[in-house]
Amino acid sequence: MLLKIKENNQIAQNVWEITLAGQFPYESVQPGQFIMVRIGRGSEHVLRRPISIAAVTEERLTIVLRVVGEGTKWLSKQSVGEQLDVLGPLGRGFPLPPSNAKVLVVGGGIGSPPLYLLSSKLQALTPDLDLVLGFRTKSECFWTDRFSQLGNLVITTDDGSAGRAGNVLDAVEGMLQSGHKWDYVYACGPQPMLRALQQYFSETAVQGYVSLEERMACGVGACYGCVCRTKDDAFSKRICADGPVFDWNEVIL
Amino acid sequence: MKGPDLSVELAGLKLRNPVMPASGCFGFGREYAKYYPLNQLGAVVVKAVTRLPRQGNPTPRVAEVTGGMLNAIGLANPGLEAVLNHELPWLAKQDVPVIVNVAGAAVEEYVEVARSIADSGLAAAIELNVSCPNVKAGGISFGVDPGVLKNLVAEVKQVCRIPLFVKLTPNVTDIRELALAAQAGGADGLSLINTLIGMKIDLNSRRPVLANKIGGLSGPAVKPVAVRMVYETAQVVDIPIIGMGGIATGADAVEFIMAGASAVMVGTANFTNPLACPNIIAEIRDFMLENGIKSLDEIRGCAL
Repeated sequence: MLLKIKENNQIAQNVWEITLAGQFPYESVQPGQFIMVRIGRGSEHVLRRPISIAAVTEERLTIVLRVVGEGTKWLSKQSVGEQLDVLGPLGRGFPLPPSNAKVLVVGGGIGSPPLYLLSSKLQALTPDLDLVLGFRTKSECFWTDRFSQLGNLVITTDDGSAGRAGNVLDAVEGMLQSGHKWDYVYACGPQPMLRALQQYFSETAVQGYVSLEERMACGVGACYGCVCRTKDDAFSKRICADGPVFDWNEVIL
Repeated sequence: MKGPDLSVELAGLKLRNPVMPASGCFGFGREYAKYYPLNQLGAVVVKAVTRLPRQGNPTPRVAEVTGGMLNAIGLANPGLEAVLNHELPWLAKQDVPVIVNVAGAAVEEYVEVARSIADSGLAAAIELNVSCPNVKAGGISFGVDPGVLKNLVAEVKQVCRIPLFVKLTPNVTDIRELALAAQAGGADGLSLINTLIGMKIDLNSRRPVLANKIGGLSGPAVKPVAVRMVYETAQVVDIPIIGMGGIATGADAVEFIMAGASAVMVGTANFTNPLACPNIIAEIRDFMLENGIKSLDEIRGCAL
């Protein structure tokens, strides 16, 4: 489907926020789902780029992306009023917890955007939501004001230029020591971060869901390009179609 | 006025039109059935099947390059039993011929898988994969030596009661030798080309992008190579050819047919646009209408 660009703004170093409008099943979007966006107009680019849905209203879709290569660079340069060819919403999103569960949301860098949509849903379910977002440095931080309206937000930066110095796991440990308890953890970010969280909570009853990222080709489950191994060693799971969100007890990170 | 006739006959198979997805680019059909009814296709060609499940290569397995992509999936598939029990029965209800791509690490494996698929009654034809560039044991090793290929095709042909196609690799000095060897072994048809071996290096990490380092190049970038190879092969074999390599439009498909292909397969274009196959079918029809072509027989091999 073709969606029109309503806004396209740089919001941090190498990070852009694009808002789209047009015919799209907005009401069906689950937090954690993504869209596949076509790049360019000719046949130079054959693969769409998977980008998670950061926010959705009844008539708008917002994505946040980091410019990492040619495709995302092209997206960052598209003007308001131009159209993007989009497939979606795709994949399986985050299962929501029962009401009043104690929930921690952990985001790493450009893994944070889908957690915004998730947290806005969690806000209605849980009275005090804990949010930890990690960035490398202050210039890469984005949407901290928006996230802070959804829960108790802790920001970390590797260099200490904003928030707490250190990584998200340091912050999570600190919160645990000061008495925080959680029933559910939701995370999206670099794989080492997800693995660290998975290991940290492995001996506990905390239920966790992680959203994974991988280079994709089809985005719909047909090509087996993006896969992850599972602990029961069954046939690999497809991140695009069986995920991108997985129970952290299920996957090998 | 009667519309143009897109139907083709291919080694005894009657297809509604000459367009089918290429193996590996369409899973087992379920994903694209959400976008259109599969019976719009000439046939469905499923992902390569091996005797046992295969996890495939480490990720990243795909990378985009200018005008194409590299893949090194590594024949990931759920294995013969799962395909026979779960995938083919579902496909059999979709009112479309099913071609099953078969891969193996040894002649015995090819024979066993092909026999089981053929005897199941759930497939219209088999496509023998002797051209996967991403797996060390098997696959490609059967597709580069004419003697080895002829022997494999002959062994499989003995147990295969349905039409047998052989999918050829372009990564050889002269594809005609392999085409003739497959024909001599008893192949009912040929499909070509599989992907060309390529590589992409990431300037930041200074390492190949693909975990497998090398991968198969596909997409519009390979089309001229593929057209040339179909053209050359069509000049020397008597069996039908399914042409593929970078087909993204009806015009691309017509080009392959003019080069001698009886039918075409569409691979990478499915990723760019899930509706690529139905669009290509419509564009072939439009081309025929505009040019007063009533049957594809009129243009098949006309460039030869």
